[in-house]
Amino acid sequence: MTTPKRHEIETPLSRATLNAARPLDVSGYPPTRRLLPELCVMKIGGQSIMDRGGEAVLPLVAEIAACAKLYPLLIGAGGGTRARHIYHLALDLELPVGVLAALGAATAEQNARMLALLLAEHGGVYDETPNFFNLPALLRSGCFPIKPGMPPFSYWAVPGASGRIPDYRTDAGVYLMAEALGARRMIYVKDEAGLYDDDPKKNPRAKLIPRISARELLDARFADLVIEPVVLQNMLVAEHVREVQIINGLERGLLARALAGEHVGTIISA
Amino acid sequence: MTKKIVYADEDRRIEVESPLMRESLINETLRAGTESALARGVMPGLDIISLGGHSIIDRGAKALMPLVDVIVAARAKHKILIGAGGGARVRHTLHIGLSLGLPVGALANLVSNVDAQNATLLTAVLAKHRGVLVAKEEFLKIPLLLETGMIPIMSAMPPYHFWEPAVGDRKVPLHAHDLGMFVIAEVTGARSLIYVKDEDGLFTDDPKTNPAATHIPRISARAVLDRELPDLPLERVVLKALVNARQCRSLRIINGLVPDQLRRALAGDEVGTLITAED
Repeated sequence: MTTPKRHEIETPLSRATLNAARPLDVSGYPPTRRLLPELCVMKIGGQSIMDRGGEAVLPLVAEIAACAKLYPLLIGAGGGTRARHIYHLALDLELPVGVLAALGAATAEQNARMLALLLAEHGGVYDETPNFFNLPALLRSGCFPIKPGMPPFSYWAVPGASGRIPDYRTDAGVYLMAEALGARRMIYVKDEAGLYDDDPKKNPRAKLIPRISARELLDARFADLVIEPVVLQNMLVAEHVREVQIINGLERGLLARALAGEHVGTIISA
Repeated sequence: MTKKIVYADEDRRIEVESPLMRESLINETLRAGTESALARGVMPGLDIISLGGHSIIDRGAKALMPLVDVIVAARAKHKILIGAGGGARVRHTLHIGLSLGLPVGALANLVSNVDAQNATLLTAVLAKHRGVLVAKEEFLKIPLLLETGMIPIMSAMPPYHFWEPAVGDRKVPLHAHDLGMFVIAEVTGARSLIYVKDEDGLFTDDPKTNPAATHIPRISARAVLDRELPDLPLERVVLKALVNARQCRSLRIINGLVPDQLRRALAGDEVGTLITAED
């Protein structure tokens, strides 16, 4: 019996082996473009900002509204304590990591919607997770998108080496949006002055680290980090977003300064 | 000029009580504590058949129809879920996308359409045998379809889209259709995961160029990764994921151009190559 022939489309990749140990030679292709090179992406922390309610969120909303007049913004929202609550229930029910990832997305969606409602009068628009194609229209019209931070992996979240909490959560989701778009800045708005060598909420002697490389930070193997480790792993091989800054969203004025390129928190670079 | 919100020592976050409350979810000890030997997949008992795009679907009716016959004959005994891969149009999309300088997230987003086309194609062929297309967001409706005797068919590509993790100089998405069906096998706790390709599994070398190459009936994921084979009929990320998998502890690669291999694989026979999580 003869083997049924493949219907090919001839290109340099049509017969290439995509899964060999040695990477496919793609050096003949041009460098990757930045799709929205002026874009400034920020993530509003779930537990660190949103869960503090009005006293933390409303002043920040006023700052975002002012900054949106100066910079093209994309805002991603974190999850927070309700995500932890549903993760706990799912863990208690012996469910696998993919189910936790699917459930966690809903809390970040709520937070993105809350921010969108508060920022509606200033042009903040809720934008569904997988759709990137409305972004230019929103930005051109003077509006700015507010998206849930959770990546759309859902049931397709790959189990990590340990435990059942998804590796890719909202820090990673917002980072990957910034990287895919080739954004100019990636700012994490949290509730600490930046990165510490331990959890400053539990260890008052934890020391602030104003600047560090992603590699150093991974090698230091801190017990706790202010940012998901997968963000650092992605930064090592990222093409565009080679630096992120973590700032304190409880301190007024830092957001505008970080957007202007000032070093006001912890800068992590690749 | 900067004015700090008044929050003294006490934490001003408004919390929902749970053991994970106030935790960063990053702490390794906390994460390890969420492991459970009792955790199970959500739809145990599935036999997942991943149909290769490049290896099978692109060959058209001559390759596909004998496999359709096997699937239809097997459906009485097996709860079958089919995943459709991409193929030639994926490679063409990647070529055009790369020549335009599109980033890996955009490529992943574009490529997913091809798997979706093939899933539609396959569902149109299988519709008269109660094949039904399952959208990603309808994942939890699969038990209903199985209960009513349907054969659910989905596009294999995982819905990572613009969130495809960074790949550096590799430039092309690493998480494609093979990984998509692997993760479905893992989250469902499938009975078996069968990759239908166009070779009898793995060989010690390329049998087309080296007549001394011998067939490997069974091997661990780690051993495959260590061997650095010149070509691999499966995405490397699947092997890495298999090492960490909790439910899906093995997968089988078979030759779909010998349709009886699919029948035998479903029956539990040793055909093709079984790749295991255990060393």
